[in-house]
Amino acid sequence: MLRLVDIAKTFGTRMVLHPMSMEIPVGRTTVLLGPSGCGKSTLLRVVAGLIPPDQGQVFFNDEIVTSQSVQKLRQRMGFVLQDGGLFPHLTAQGNAGLLARHLGWEVSRVNARVEELADLTRLPHDVLNRYPHQMSGGQRQRVGIMRALMLEPDLMLLDEPMGALDPLVRYDLQNDLKEIFCSLQKTVLLVTHDLGEADFLGDNVILLKDGRIVQKGTLEDFANRPADPFVTDFIRAQRIPNLGSNQ
Amino acid sequence: MNIQDNLKSRFAVTLTILGTLLTGSVTAEGPKSKSIQIGSKALTEGVILGEMLTLIAEHAGYKARHLAAMGGTQIVYQALENGSIDAYADYTGTLTQEILKSERIRDEQGMRDALAMRGIGMTNKLGFNNTYALGMKEDLAEKLSIRTISDLARHPKLAYGFSNEFKGREDGWLGLKRTYQLPQEPLGMDHDIAYRGLESGTIQVTDLNSTDADIRFYKLRVLKDDRSFFPAYQCVILYRLAMEEQQPDVINAWKLLEGHFDDASMVELNSRVKLDRQSERQVASTALRDRLQISIAPETTSHRLFWDLLRNTRDHLQLVTLSLVAAVIVAIPLGIAAAKLPRFGQIILGVIGVMQTIPSMAILVFMIPLLGIGFWPAIAALFLYSLLPIVRNTYQGLTIIPHSLQESAAVLGLEPFARLRLLELPLASPMILAGIKTAAVINVGTATIGVLIGAGGYGEPILNGVRLNNHSMILQGAIPAAVLAIVMQGLFDRIEKWYVPEGLRIQRSP
Repeated sequence: MLRLVDIAKTFGTRMVLHPMSMEIPVGRTTVLLGPSGCGKSTLLRVVAGLIPPDQGQVFFNDEIVTSQSVQKLRQRMGFVLQDGGLFPHLTAQGNAGLLARHLGWEVSRVNARVEELADLTRLPHDVLNRYPHQMSGGQRQRVGIMRALMLEPDLMLLDEPMGALDPLVRYDLQNDLKEIFCSLQKTVLLVTHDLGEADFLGDNVILLKDGRIVQKGTLEDFANRPADPFVTDFIRAQRIPNLGSNQ
Repeated sequence: MNIQDNLKSRFAVTLTILGTLLTGSVTAEGPKSKSIQIGSKALTEGVILGEMLTLIAEHAGYKARHLAAMGGTQIVYQALENGSIDAYADYTGTLTQEILKSERIRDEQGMRDALAMRGIGMTNKLGFNNTYALGMKEDLAEKLSIRTISDLARHPKLAYGFSNEFKGREDGWLGLKRTYQLPQEPLGMDHDIAYRGLESGTIQVTDLNSTDADIRFYKLRVLKDDRSFFPAYQCVILYRLAMEEQQPDVINAWKLLEGHFDDASMVELNSRVKLDRQSERQVASTALRDRLQISIAPETTSHRLFWDLLRNTRDHLQLVTLSLVAAVIVAIPLGIAAAKLPRFGQIILGVIGVMQTIPSMAILVFMIPLLGIGFWPAIAALFLYSLLPIVRNTYQGLTIIPHSLQESAAVLGLEPFARLRLLELPLASPMILAGIKTAAVINVGTATIGVLIGAGGYGEPILNGVRLNNHSMILQGAIPAAVLAIVMQGLFDRIEKWYVPEGLRIQRSP
């Protein structure tokens, strides 16, 4: 369903994506992992057609993503931004239902779908009438996910969706996201720099560094058969508190 | 709740209100095609004579309208030449030295011929000679023993303040300076303000008209023109030559004025307006009754005060609303285009920005050849002034939308027009409305200069008040203008509550 062939991108003189190809498995969650500046967010934007690649093609549902086709194809992709990207002039309900209404859905059908999604994302129904600045960070992100899921997209793209949340909220949302992805059998491409999150949510992980793929696979593979010393360094860099020793 | 439909109905209501306001006011304007338009220069004397012409035309059975105190010679003369007005009073000296100066006029017949070439007719002299003169406060002149203009050369430290027209005229300061070898650099100002300057001591010498009532009022000494520099300024009526065919009865009636007013009687009439605070209309009708046995009952002043206020309010509202509506219709799309097409945007913003720096007076004068005088050129000028705040705020409102929101809009897969309508314009709406509000409030103030080209409005009592040194008259224009500006502000705060999406409003008032 989503295939990248020989994609590369240069900003100015810096090559942010070296030529790379990959196929994203259907119905699974693939995580793009790596430190800041490794090109993972750029790659996600190339997939969504927000940034045109210098070379190569993105195939989505066997169509090439181009500036002409992208408008239509995006309606089959759900995109979740780091801060939710909600429009301040619309309520949660308005944000989630915006595109469906524009496409001519009946009001009752939009409302029913929004409520269904609120249940799925565990958003309290009274939040539906609030404006973004009246919601907590976690609620905003849940509305962002609702908006992305609204039209039952074939592909979910998430750009550090938990990046701005505090740990407790993040923990809950990670649980809920995993449940949603499993129950809907969605094809998901998620960007994060958090190893724990990648391990928890991802079926496959792609580790990037300086615009190149360092290793693909599971974290277990990364730990046991690192393709590069960087893999080991990256895993070791995630500090895990040693709670036992000081008691 | 359905936000779109709600907005649509609000928009419809606003349109209806505006529509009623505009059609109501435009029809109130009435047909003026058959009425006679009289103009006058911004001089008390000119206005009195304008009133006389108006009263006579009315007495002859026509509908007549007096565009009082339109401005300097060029504005009023241009208006006559392009047919915006039918007649006004001017002076022979002004004709030879200023209007027809390129023609080297030798005698009265030459003047008539030159004017006829331009489609303009001229009556015989009314009798008085309102020539230029220089004047000083009597006590100061006595102290410095200045009696003639030649004496001024001995006092290079005196400050001169001249009416702008006099300062720039060959038969005024330019020639005078050469003839008398005067060293000063004068300040240019409004003629009536110059008198205040004398009074307060800011300036010591100003130009006078020899029939000015102010000479007596301000206790001025008229300096002797010992080298006979100033030509004669005999008053005549100029009119469109076509009127001799179309309305000969009016022309004949106007000609009754010929030879009936000498210098002393004109000073007397000017004093009645300026010092005794009678209205020009009253003075004009009394003079017509006493000298020409034309009896016209003048309206009572208290009545006029109310109707004037009503008429000025109507004129002012028309100017402001019509120009503003036109500006909104043009400026918002321009602002959108500027935001979407960056290179085009720089050009638009540049051009409109430059336009804003052109003084309003200049714009008004530029409009005269294109649109004549009166209502439409004033609307056009106000329209041009309203563009900048609205275009700029629309542009800014659209371009300052945070990158994350723009990306968020892009990934939804909305086509560009829907993105604009559903997301970008609502997000920019507080800025756009603020721009419209700025334009409206500025417009209320700027519209007061519309009176300079006969567009009416609150500028009329303000300008007349300045001319007549009548503070209460100035306030009759200034207070309603200020009130209107406040009302506009309030109205837009109301509209803001209606149009700006709730989510954006709450955010701004914590």
